[in-house]
Amino acid sequence: MPAIEVTDLRKTYHRPFRKTGNIALRGMTLTVPRGSAFGLIGPNGAGKTTFIKSILGIVQPSHGTIRVLGGSPEDTAVRARIGYLPERLHLPNAWLPTAFLGTVVQLKGLPPDPAGNLRMLERVGLGDAVTRKIGGYSKGMRQRLGLAAALLGKPDLLILDEPTDGIDPMGRMEVRRILQEEVQRGATLFLNSHLLAETERVCDRVAILADGQVVREGRMEDLVRGDSRWVARFAPGVDAPRLAEAGFVAGGADGVFHVEATDPGALNAALDRARATGALLVELRRDGMDLESVLLGTVRARTGVAA
Amino acid sequence: MEKRQKRKLWLGVAGLLFALAALLMFTGQGEESRPEAPKVEFPRRMRAPERERAERRRTQVAPPPVDAGTAEKEPARPRDPLLAALPRGKGKTAVVIEANALRHSPIGALLLDCLMRDGGKQLDEFRKASGVDPLQDLDRLVVTDEGMMLSGNFENAKFKELLGERTSFDYGESARVYEPGDTTVPQKDGTTVRRRGGGSIGTWNNQLLVVGESPDEVKAAIDRVEGRGGDEPPLLTENSTYGEMYGVLSVEHIARLFPPEQAQLAERLRAVAQNVELHMDASSDVALVAEVTGANSSEVEDLGKSLGAALSLARLQAQAGGDKKDKDLAQLLDFAKVRPDGDSFTLEMAVPLSIIQERLAFCREGRKEEAAAQAPSEEPAPPAASDASTQGAAAAPSGE
Amino acid sequence: MRPVFGIAGYVLREAISRKFILAFLVGITLVLAVVAMSLRLDVIDGALAASRLFGNELRSSIQSVDVALRPVYQGAAFIVFYGGILFGIVACSDFAPGLMSPGRIEHLLALPIQRWQLMAGTFLGVMTLALGGTLYGTTGLVVIFGVKAGYWTAGPLIAGLMACVGFAAVYAVMLTTATLVRSAALCAAAGFALLVGGIVAGHRQDISTFFEEGVSRTLFMAVTVMLPRLSALAEAAGHISASTPLEVRSLGTLLLGVFVFGLGALAVGFWRFEGKDY
Repeated sequence: MPAIEVTDLRKTYHRPFRKTGNIALRGMTLTVPRGSAFGLIGPNGAGKTTFIKSILGIVQPSHGTIRVLGGSPEDTAVRARIGYLPERLHLPNAWLPTAFLGTVVQLKGLPPDPAGNLRMLERVGLGDAVTRKIGGYSKGMRQRLGLAAALLGKPDLLILDEPTDGIDPMGRMEVRRILQEEVQRGATLFLNSHLLAETERVCDRVAILADGQVVREGRMEDLVRGDSRWVARFAPGVDAPRLAEAGFVAGGADGVFHVEATDPGALNAALDRARATGALLVELRRDGMDLESVLLGTVRARTGVAA
Repeated sequence: MEKRQKRKLWLGVAGLLFALAALLMFTGQGEESRPEAPKVEFPRRMRAPERERAERRRTQVAPPPVDAGTAEKEPARPRDPLLAALPRGKGKTAVVIEANALRHSPIGALLLDCLMRDGGKQLDEFRKASGVDPLQDLDRLVVTDEGMMLSGNFENAKFKELLGERTSFDYGESARVYEPGDTTVPQKDGTTVRRRGGGSIGTWNNQLLVVGESPDEVKAAIDRVEGRGGDEPPLLTENSTYGEMYGVLSVEHIARLFPPEQAQLAERLRAVAQNVELHMDASSDVALVAEVTGANSSEVEDLGKSLGAALSLARLQAQAGGDKKDKDLAQLLDFAKVRPDGDSFTLEMAVPLSIIQERLAFCREGRKEEAAAQAPSEEPAPPAASDASTQGAAAAPSGE
Repeated sequence: MRPVFGIAGYVLREAISRKFILAFLVGITLVLAVVAMSLRLDVIDGALAASRLFGNELRSSIQSVDVALRPVYQGAAFIVFYGGILFGIVACSDFAPGLMSPGRIEHLLALPIQRWQLMAGTFLGVMTLALGGTLYGTTGLVVIFGVKAGYWTAGPLIAGLMACVGFAAVYAVMLTTATLVRSAALCAAAGFALLVGGIVAGHRQDISTFFEEGVSRTLFMAVTVMLPRLSALAEAAGHISASTPLEVRSLGTLLLGVFVFGLGALAVGFWRFEGKDY
């Protein structure tokens, strides 16, 4: 049973006294396997936040079905198994972090556990700031506290919207470690982050959302892997025009060429043609892309702009 | 869809709750006009109608006192003959009852019900026998240490028929004095009975009737009216003629009204107070104001405090008591207060009209029963078109 | 009901952390302390013989202490009723909009709490706050006059509780307004409008005479029959506080009616809140 299963999800925000509404989601279908670390990426206005709010019952879909942890997000029992960190969590400034976590514990229907709350604060790196009021926290510290609140009660599904926003690089590493621990524990992680490198490092599956629809979804390694494109570096003194005739396109650096080969046979044939020109191969690797390239390529392809 | 249904349920619940709330508030508050909150009007000063009334009563011009011609001659001012007739000097008592005003007050209507319980037979008999209609002709009634005075319009009074057997003589300018003696009173069946008359009676100008122990007392009152009295000011000035009952009571009289358990307070009153002026308003509720004056302001203040404390204690005791009498008394004492003011203090007390109405309800019931028993041909006489006091004024001579 | 109490606690904790709420409590305490220290009442045999404020003798009459204190208690009841509701409108106007602010409402709605419970909890929290403040102020007043005059009455306390019922109706409307538009100013305006409407509704019989007989008067009566009779409640509170006879036919029914109106307003809020996207 998937952690999240969404079928043909549509959402249109209607405004009073207006006939037409603002379409946020246009028939989105997505499945998030249980135990996975799933990343949702997409440009601004793609509908990511609407989607997250829909799977939490904060926004009611106009059409489609949503199943979260096998139930409806309207069901409080289902929501009790979800840990959520909103994008801009508003925290009560005059409170102590322990009081805030205590209240969240109470509202989640968990037994009071002051010691557990303290441990959680230490886990997210706020052990030294327990006695300070939240109003005195930096943005990163607030984010850590929000993460701590989301982690309370060992949820089966963690939905995190920009969890590392405002956190310094060292802190990001810590957060990444925590998230990986949670995934190892068996929790499903659903991550929305504009820091694509973060998503790339943490998630094993990614969906690209654009214009209210999932345009690409799959395992991270499959998405970032260049399927038929290879990079070959030759020793200096190559005959570039002859290499071009052999199917090798000059790259940015000296001696670096790209070649298209859909299978090993085609690749070796291409290399044979290159060696026939007198070129000496010193390095060969698959021409992989980072997530940013994948996103840009996907979105541009969708909008019809040349990559 | 399920959630939408649930939402609609809330809206339905809201509609039901609003309807229920409207019903509950409608029945809870009640839609009838709210009765006026009991507001007791204490007679503390002369009001405009009373001032006008007092001015109308200035019907008599007394001759200026005779002097050697040295004093500057002031024009004679008209004055109220009844006030002039009142006893003079300290320690005297005179209580004026504004009978006509009282008759037209709510309490008067209640008292009239009591008076008319027999269908007004006795009143009719009195009217026929005396020629005086107490409801129309009587303006004021004064009770003094020396006797009683009545003012009004006595033009139709059958003094000769009633007092003809007594020795009488003209006195002063417009008075006739009847000495004590027997009186023949005609009965309903046409017979007469003789009654022993205890006091002397004097009539003045068909608007004043003075009843005294002796002809001298009556003559003294007539003298005061006609300007032959002493120089002492009257017991009551015109400025004190407010309320439906007012007057000056001797401290001794007041002290005697105190219950035995308050003997100590009565003694203090005797020692401290010099004068007690009383005013009662019955225009709505019955409100009483007694102004107690003394020579020593601190002693007067202490007396006021003691009196206030005694009233408060009485109220607490009445509240503690369970029966209706106690409840009524507590309600009566609710309005009781003492207002200190230097060398005097005023004691205010009130009886809400509702209590009096309740107490006198039996009169109204009795009158209704009487009216039902009789044929509906006899309608009670409508209220007097004109005030007896103005009639008196019209009947009075100009004095010139 | 546990989530409702949880949210109520959340709101209360949030309220207590606000400086002006604390300032209000300090203000009440100061007023009570000043009254306690500056007022001197001389009572002889249950009669208020003299009263002094800041050493100056107040010109007053000597009468039974409970009767003498009636205007004081009645005035206090009116201040508690109208002043309390007005303060409540201003002080609590941003609780619900604050709770529904971006970043907070998403977090709350993602918790295992039903939406109506969130609203009911907010309502309960604010009412607890109002009740606490009222009880604190009126109990202080009762104690001060009780000690100084030896006259003990629960009247002001009951009047305060009645004020809370009136405020419940007002705050329910404010809370419902917050579900329609997330603005503290508009919430306060709605509360204030209901207060004015409630005052008018309490005097609807007298005011209706100013309308011409016919459609306009019928319309006025139809509108005001729905509104909470706040002025009638305030007057009843004054009478209870002063231990004088009530003018309303049944106080219990009236109180229940006003409270049920509040519940009705809350139900409208629930309906709106259940269907709202955040």
